[in-house]
Formats: sequence, structure tokens, C-alpha cells
Amino acid sequence: MPCEADEEEVRGVKVSREALLEVMEGESDLPPDDEMEGEKDLAQGNKMELSGLSLSYGGKKVLEDISMPIPARSITAVIGPSGCGKSSLLRCLNRMNELVDGARVEGKVYLDGEDVYAPGFDVVGLRRRVGMVFQKPNPFPKSVYENVAYGPRLYGVRQKKVLDRIVEESLRRAALWDEVKDKLGSSALALSGGQQQRLCIARVLAVQPEVILLDEPCSALDPISTQRIEDLLHELKEMYTIVIVTHNMQQAARVSDFTAFITIEEQGSPGRLVEFGETEEVFTNPRKKKTEDYITGRFG
Amino acid sequence: MRTETRKDFHQKLDDLFEEVVRMGEMVTLTVNEARRCFVDLDRKSAKAIVQGDEVFDRTRDLVEERGLELLATQAPVAVDLRLVVALMRVAQHLERVADLCVDVAKATLNLPDRELPGWMKETIEEMGRRAADILRRSIFAFRKRSLEEAFRLDVLDDAVDRLNRGFFKEIDRGREEELDVAIRVIMVARFFERIADHAVDIGEETAFLLRGRK
Repeated sequence: MPCEADEEEVRGVKVSREALLEVMEGESDLPPDDEMEGEKDLAQGNKMELSGLSLSYGGKKVLEDISMPIPARSITAVIGPSGCGKSSLLRCLNRMNELVDGARVEGKVYLDGEDVYAPGFDVVGLRRRVGMVFQKPNPFPKSVYENVAYGPRLYGVRQKKVLDRIVEESLRRAALWDEVKDKLGSSALALSGGQQQRLCIARVLAVQPEVILLDEPCSALDPISTQRIEDLLHELKEMYTIVIVTHNMQQAARVSDFTAFITIEEQGSPGRLVEFGETEEVFTNPRKKKTEDYITGRFG
Repeated sequence: MRTETRKDFHQKLDDLFEEVVRMGEMVTLTVNEARRCFVDLDRKSAKAIVQGDEVFDRTRDLVEERGLELLATQAPVAVDLRLVVALMRVAQHLERVADLCVDVAKATLNLPDRELPGWMKETIEEMGRRAADILRRSIFAFRKRSLEEAFRLDVLDDAVDRLNRGFFKEIDRGREEELDVAIRVIMVARFFERIADHAVDIGEETAFLLRGRK
């Protein structure tokens, strides 16, 4: 394993590494002289869509019949109480749940109109197109440069000049370049928590994703670092479709364009979507009483 | 699952709500008092109204201060957010109503020292009563969070507007009142008409609180 970290970090790194290794065996689908253009979702509308999605682990249902859009080039926040299945929902979007034993997904998840759970769907390609950033920053114990170059290199980019450009561009997009440009060779672990998290975002950007999933990306960060990540998300949504899971409702209100509220009736019951709507509407005038009760704290 | 959180915040919100409702009841009493002063030419009470206005200014400031504090420290959302905003706006409307009462009181102090002509007295009496009644109902609708009550205010306000317009017509018709009296009475009629308008606005705040739009 490239890094010693906790289980979740290991799982996160392992997943992306596995995916990348699989690609190594085949032809790279990354044009060698590719400009770092980012995905152009020229057709506005929904980048992804969930339709009747249910998820169970070992026969125990954790998500039930979730249907919602994920609008392109927008930030969609998923909020809800602990244990409602927010993170599980996120992991359904790039089929990471299937790495968990006994996980079973029903329903459909569309990416650009194609069901990602359809037989024969390119899972490796999916995980490149739909990147993920985890709760705790999990950089590899390598240099700043290598962290970002790792993915493109595994995808077959060999030319130093091209890699240099990808690294610089990714770090610039992650609003980290100015802080690390003079220490690209230093260990990523020497960076602050906030910088490490932006490095992880740069690492995702380096493989040109179309959708970025963020699972509580600021929960381990101080308020200033949190604010920087939020500013960054605001810039990134110009080019990418972003889904963020957060416990911090104010963060959801601040950064997102759309909000999905998921809740459970009681401990152990599956998470269901209560309301999906424009964030402004959800936080000022939610349509459902359950949403209002939750976001105003009238029921925990 | 079903436990309320943020109790301290909700308590502060409830306290602020009570403060604004109390302010509304006090201002309603002042509207009635201002009407009585004007009609009865009670200059002593009129002076008391002018002097007492400071209380409403202070209450408005207090509501605004506490509202801003809640916005800054509690980051309220949904109905809580709408309530904080509505409370600050309602307090502002009430403070303006109190100012209009001061205007009525000042008009009383400037009236010539003789009784008003009967028809003027009756019309002002009627307008003042109706304005105070609409204000009372607007506070009731706000307190009870009743959309139905809030919607009724508009119709009641139309009656005050009609009285106000009728008043002008009477004076236009060439009743031979002294000009300085006529001007003051017209102004006071206008003040009561404005008070009723503020009450309708308070009704709109109730609608905003309940459904997110006026």
C-alpha cells in the first residue's frame, strides 16, 4: 500500500489504485498531449441521475428508493442525520460500494444518460470520470509532485513535459500552486491539513474527472482551511459537477446550488430522500415539514 | 430520534417573538389613545404620547439588535430564519406606527382651542378606531400565525382608504371650515390611513413567516 493510514484512507487509496492499475493493463484512454481542459458538459441539465436506487449491505437495507437528479456544473449537497446513508449514497455514484462484501444495489444510476450499473459498463473509466475526495486528507507518502502525477502516470502519461503541465494545472485549479510551487519535491505529509486536502483535490483533478464526489471534505479542517476549500469548490463548479456530503448544514447552505435531504424513520431503517430542491429554497422555505424540523433542529 | 435540539436558540427566538407581540399590543393602545386625544382635544395626554415614543424606538432597536445577534451567532434557517427577519420587520412597522401616533399627538397640540366640527370628529373617530382595530388584528394574526386572519386585513384596510377619500371629497365640497383646522384634520386622517397600511404590511409578514412569500 502506498500509505499507512486508517481504514477509510486505506480503502480510499486502495480503490483508486486498483482502478488505476487495471487501466495500466490496457491502453490508456488519455490523449498523450491532452490539454487540461476539464469536462465540457455543454448540454446543461443533469450530469447524473438516480432512479429508484436502493442499497443493502448483507441483506440489510441502508438506502431505499432514492430518485434525484445531479445537475451538471453545479454543487449538490447531501445532508441528513448520522447513519442515514449519505456516504453510502455517494459511493453508489462511482460503484465503490461494490468493493464492500455483501453490498447490493438496485435501481439505476445514470451518468450522461448511461446506467453505470449496466452489464459491461466500464467501471475503471467510471472511477476516473467520477472522482472522490475523502473526509480525512489521504495523500500518498510521496512528494507533492508525485501525488498529483501518480494518476496520470498510471493512465499512461509518460512525457515529463506533459506531466509537469498536468501537475501545475491541477495544483493551480486546486488553489494550491502558489503555496507549493517551491516545494514540489517535499513530502506531501509535511503540508498542513487544509493543504493536504487541496492536494487530494488536485490529485483527483489530474485524471480529468467529470464529477467530483466529496465526503465530508472539511470535517477535519480548521475554519480558514474550510473556507478555502469552499471557495475552491465554487470555482471548480464552473468545470465540474460536484456532489458533497456534509454534516455541516451551514456548509451545505453556503456552497451548494441544490440540496438533497435524506433521513431515516428510526435507527436501523433505510435512508429515504425527503426533499431535493434548490438550496436557497430548501434553507429558507423547505417544502417538507421533516426537512424543516431537521434543519431547524426541532428534531435531532 | 424525536428530540428537540438548539433549545437555547429557540427559547431566545420565542422571547423575541413575545417582545414584538407585546410591542404590538402597546402600540395598538397608543393608536387608540392618539385618536381619543385628537378628538377630545386632550393636550395633556397628547404630550404624554410624544414623550412616550422613545420606548418604542428602544424596543425596535432591541429587537433589531437581538435579531442580528441571532442571525450572526445561530445562522437560523427555514422557519427560524423567516421568523427572525419577520420580527425585525414587524418591529420596524410598529415603530413607524408609533411615530404616526406622535404625529397625531402633535397635530392635537397645534389645533385651535375649540371643538372640531361634528362630521370631522365622527370621521376621524371612525378612521382611528378602524386603524387601531386592523392593527390589533394584524398582531393577533401574527401571534396566532394565522394566514386566514392576515388575509382579512386587506379588506378592512379598504374601508379606511374609502373613509380617507370621502374625507377629501367633503372638504372639496366647500364646507366652510377654517383652513388650519381642515389641514390638520386631513393630515390626521392620512396618519390613520398610513397606520392601517402598516397593519396590512404586518399581515404580509405573517404570510411570509408561514409560507415563505408575502
